[in-house]
Parts: sequence; structure tokens; C-alpha cells
Amino acid sequence: MDKRVTLRIADIVKECSDVRTYIFQHPLAALPGQFIMLTDFAGGEKPFSLAWCNDQEFAVTVKAVGPFTQRLATKAAGDIVSIRGAFGSSFFISRHRALLVGGGYGTPPLYFLARRLLEAGAEVTVVNGARRSDDLLFCDRFRRLGVEYHNITDTGGSGREGTSVNLAGELLKTSKFDYVYTAGPELMMKSLIALLQDQPCQFLMERYMKCAIGICGNCTVDPLGLRLCVEGPVLNREQVERITEFGVYHRDAAGHRIKFTDRGEKIT
Amino acid sequence: MCKGLKTNFLGVELASPLVLPAGVMGMSYSGLKICVENGAGIVTSKSLTKLPRSGHEGPVMAEVPGGFLNCMGLCNPGLEEGLAEIAEFKKLSTTPLIVSIFATGREEFTELTLAANRSSADFLELNLSCPNVFDEFGIPLAASREQVFEIVRAVKEVSRLPVIAKLSPNVLSITDIALAAEAAGADALCLINTLGPGMLIDIYARKPVLYNRFGGLSGPCLKPIALKLIYEVYSSVKIPIIGMGGIQSGQDAVEMKMAGASVIGIGTAIYYHGLEIFNRVNQEIRDFLEESGYESWQAIPALDKIRD
Ligand SMILES: Cc1cc2nc3c(=O)[nH]c(=O)nc-3n(C[C@H](O)[C@H](O)[C@H](O)COP(=O)(O)OP(=O)(O)OC[C@H]3O[C@@H](n4cnc5c(N)ncnc54)[C@H](O)[C@@H]3O)c2cc1C
Ligand SMILES: Cc1cc2nc3c(=O)[nH]c(=O)nc-3n(C[C@H](O)[C@H](O)[C@H](O)COP(=O)(O)O)c2cc1C
Ligand code: FES
Repeated sequence: MDKRVTLRIADIVKECSDVRTYIFQHPLAALPGQFIMLTDFAGGEKPFSLAWCNDQEFAVTVKAVGPFTQRLATKAAGDIVSIRGAFGSSFFISRHRALLVGGGYGTPPLYFLARRLLEAGAEVTVVNGARRSDDLLFCDRFRRLGVEYHNITDTGGSGREGTSVNLAGELLKTSKFDYVYTAGPELMMKSLIALLQDQPCQFLMERYMKCAIGICGNCTVDPLGLRLCVEGPVLNREQVERITEFGVYHRDAAGHRIKFTDRGEKIT
Repeated sequence: MCKGLKTNFLGVELASPLVLPAGVMGMSYSGLKICVENGAGIVTSKSLTKLPRSGHEGPVMAEVPGGFLNCMGLCNPGLEEGLAEIAEFKKLSTTPLIVSIFATGREEFTELTLAANRSSADFLELNLSCPNVFDEFGIPLAASREQVFEIVRAVKEVSRLPVIAKLSPNVLSITDIALAAEAAGADALCLINTLGPGMLIDIYARKPVLYNRFGGLSGPCLKPIALKLIYEVYSSVKIPIIGMGGIQSGQDAVEMKMAGASVIGIGTAIYYHGLEIFNRVNQEIRDFLEESGYESWQAIPALDKIRD
């Protein structure tokens, strides 16, 4: 549904220096993994995953990385923005043993998923990774859910040292999981594939989005032509394994192919 | 594919008369390919410009009853990379492809044409009618008979590929423009580009909804206007017409055929019906052929011309 609504920001939670959660009092019909397009009418309309969503409110957690998101960081509660959505595919809700592997701003949509998995009766283990412990998102929220929860950072502060993929690899060896879900930097997700056994896995994959309704073609992935705003952003392992650009390149606003570097950054 | 859908367009055999229009799903080879897999008989690239363009800042798309306003702003990776995507598509598919190009004047159009000559495209479409780059480039070329004539003639002089002129509905007499394109040697016409442009205002923000303020209208609400303009032009020209504007069913496609179009584009309807729309419309056309006793798509006659 492309319905646009203009809303006042009800509340803003500062998660860490460059990440904020924007809360809206509005009943949005959305499922975990889905995203909205958000604009402040000052140039730019950008996709953000839902961090939670219920009958009364929804939230998105945004990392300030460029012109649009930095401007968003200067907003205050009461400011007006407009959203459309929710768009895209959503995570399958398993009722069994689920492992959630998140990194960076990929973690908030997994929080939404964790809540729905728990409601469905699943047993949930979360691995939350970041560079530094200050950048770990949603730790307290996950802990309050009562899931099995692991922090891991590159430097080892407030938890284990290493990457979320290392830790997920260990957990996959020692315990049996029926379903794996992952969201975060693409190279992180890519290295997770090699560690999976035969269980199903879903990936939240991002590409440059404009129309978000499946007609402009900016978000298609090679060679399948799947539109990540419609058939994605949540994709199954079988789909991801056939996407040759996964972890290799993505297209920008002009359709240029931009390579992912081995540090998860992009060279332009 | 059933024989009845086979169509000859400018000497090239199409498995289906359904066209993927310029700017829809055409940013990458894989976007073009998936439309073919879903039943399109011919695909069009995004309109390519000499240099890359990121397009307008968002919002670039806004829904209205019966359609959408869009102001994508001709985003494309530039001619060179765009032609590389086309080459990649052609490695995987034998389906005919139209390369769409956009330029601001005769010389640049000629330059782009020379590059397109070396590509693996089957047809060349001149986008003379983008309504969304007014601030940058002013009134679309398709508003002027003289300009259309001059550009089409210059392109025809150097083009290896058959040339299609894509015209704008936003003119006083589209027939005059169409006749100018035909007189200049255009091999076919493509009608219609988006209508308007139009605008929407957000009353809470007191701002235009589209960041570019204005955007061209596409989708089902366009159909009656597209039909009328196609019928009018068909009545006056001899060259074939690619018809588009609001098509979302086999009935719509047949209606547009009867208005005088040879092949039919489906763009915005992908939003309403998914990529399966091509196969569904193909099937609905086959059903219509069977029901009505026509032997083939090509056998469906147009209405009598206005001036017959
Ligand atoms: C499905 C999806 C869900 C996302 N969820 C979140 C989220 O929950 N939290 C969050 O902080 N970020 C999320 N993002 C990324 C977010 O959209 C970008 O960080 C944001 O658009 C950056 O805009 P900018 O102007 O601040 O930065 P820029 O400097 O313009 O861009 C920085 C980076 O963001 C990417 N980007 C820019 N515009 C877009 C766009 N229109 N579509 C996709 N990527 C873009 C660029 O490719 C670049 O890599 C999501 C992206 C997608 C596709
Ligand atoms: C998102 C979008 C982008 C478009 N981009 C182009 C373009 O680059 N070049 C062009 O000639 N027409 C472009 N068009 C116009 C379409 O090719 C087509 O003429 C128009 O949308 C009418 O058909 P429809 O109602 O089936 O969508 C675009 C239309 C849409 C909706
Ligand atoms: S963003 Fe336009 S097709 Fe996905």
C-alpha cells in the first residue's frame, strides 16, 4: 500500500552518538523486516526498517551517515515528517529455535522480529555485534525481552571480543537452531552463509530505493532481477545464494555499480 | 507462446505485442530480463543521457486516485554504462530491445545516436518528452514541430537502428508533432509519455509532496487520454505506433490496438498487478482472440480513421 501519512515525531530516543530512534503515534500495519519511506520535505525520501510496530505506535532507528540522516538527527519531537509504507517482504515467523544475528543498524529490525517470534512461542537467541560497545544498539531492549542475548564487539568492551559472525558460528556448532535470521552489513551477512548448516536463513538486504513500489527498477539485484522493495528486503537463503552481486556490488541513485570493500564500506 | 500473439514490429518478430516502457524496471539488465521472463515481448532501457544522472531528490513518486505522479528526473548511469547493461541483457536474451536516449538538442542527440549504433539494441527511441526536467532543460522538445523535425532528421541521417520518436501528450496538437516526426523520417512513434505534469500539496507541512514540486502522471487514469491521442495520430500518420498509458488488462490492450497502436506498453500497472501482468495480459489477449474469432493480434483491425 502506498498510502502517505504526515505525522509529528512523538518522541526521539538517542541510542548513541549518531543513532536515534524516532517514535510515531500512528497505527501502521507492518510486519518485521518491512520498511517505510520517510521524508522531511527538505530533499530526500529514504527507506528505514521498522524497529517496532503495534496498534498504537511504530518506530525507526536511524544512523546519521549522510545529508538526509544527519538532518534527521537535528529534529525534535513535534517536528513534521511524512511516511509511506510499510513496504516489502517480511520475516517468516518460526515457532522453534531461532538465531538472530545482527550488526549495526541491522539490529533494530531484528528486535521487532524477536518480539513477534516470542509471541509465536519461539525460543530466541540474539547475537548483537558492533565495532565499539558504545555502538551496540538495543541491548537493554533485548535484555528486557528475556531472550538469550549475546553482545560482541571488535574491541571486546561490554561483552565478547570478535564479530557477530564468529560468535554465531560457535553457537551454530554447539546448539541446534531451526531458523537463522540476519540483518546488518552485507559482508557480515555474506560471511555468515558459509557457517550455516542446512537450516533455513533469511537476510535483510538493502539496495538504493526510490519508488519503493516496484516500478522504477533502481533496487533490482543481479542476475535475478528481484526488486528489493517488493520481493525483498527480506530474502531467503536460496535467493541470496543465487544473487551474484551479494556482497560484491550494489547500484547507487544513478544505477552505477559500486563495489563493497572488504571492510563493508563502498568505494565510489 | 501461442502463435496468435506473434507480432511483426518494423520487420522484427515479437513473441508478444507487450512492451516494457522506458523508465520502468529498465535501470539494469536484470530488471529488463525479469520483465521478459514475465512475458514482455520487447523491452526499453531507461532513458540514457550522455553523462550519469542521479535524478531528483525524493519524494519522486506520489499516488493519486487512478495513478501516480513521478519526477524521477532521468536518473541513469550515463550512456556508456547504460549500453553495457544492454549488452549484458543481450547476452542472456534474444528478446528485442529499444534503447531510449534523452538529450537537449540536435548535436547531443546525434552524438548519442552514434554510440547507440555500436550497441546491441534493436531500436532507438528518442525521449523528446520528459516532463520532469523542466527546471533544467525547459519545455520538452516534443512541444515544437520544428525541433522535433530537426532532431529526428539529424538522428535518422546517422542512425543504424530504426528510430522511434516518443511524444508528449502535453501539446496543443499532437498530430502536428507526429506528422513532423514522420516527415523527418521517424520509423515509428511512441505515445504517450506522462501527462501534465501535476502536483500535490501536503497541507500539514505546507509543502509540495514531490520534492521537485511537479511530476508526470501515469497509470490507469491516463487511458482515455492516451486512446484519444493515439487514435488521432493514427488517423494521420502511416508509421506504426507504440501505444501506452494506463494499460492494465488484455481488454485495455485490445482497446489501444483498435485506437491504432501496433504494440502496447505496460508500465505503472506493474504496481497494481505485479510483474505477472505481462503474462496475464498476454493470456487475456489470447482469450479475446479466441472469443472474437480473430486469427491473431495483428488481425485485430483498428477503428476507421477519423479522416477516412
Ligand atoms: C530496506 C532498507 C532498510 C533500511 N533501514 C535502515 C534503518 O533501519 N536505519 C538506518 O539508519 N538506515 C537504514 N537504511 C539505510 C538508509 O536508508 C540510508 O542510510 C539513508 O538513506 C542514507 O541517506 P543519507 O542522505 O543520510 O546518506 P547518503 O550519504 O546519501 O548515503 C549513505 C549510504 O546510504 C545509502 N542510501 C542513500 N540513499 C538511499 C536510498 N534512497 N535507499 C537505500 N540506500 C540509500 C547510500 O547508498 C550510501 O551507502 C535502510 C536501507 C534500506 C534499503
Ligand atoms: C517511474 C517512471 C519513470 C519513467 N521514466 C521514463 C523515461 O525515462 N523515459 C521515457 O520516455 N518515459 C518514461 N516514463 C513514461 C513511461 O514510459 C510511459 O510513457 C508512461 O508511464 C505511461 O504508461 P503507463 O501508464 O503504463 O505507466 C516513466 C514513467 C514512470 C512511471
Ligand atoms: S525502489 Fe523502485 S523498484 Fe524498488
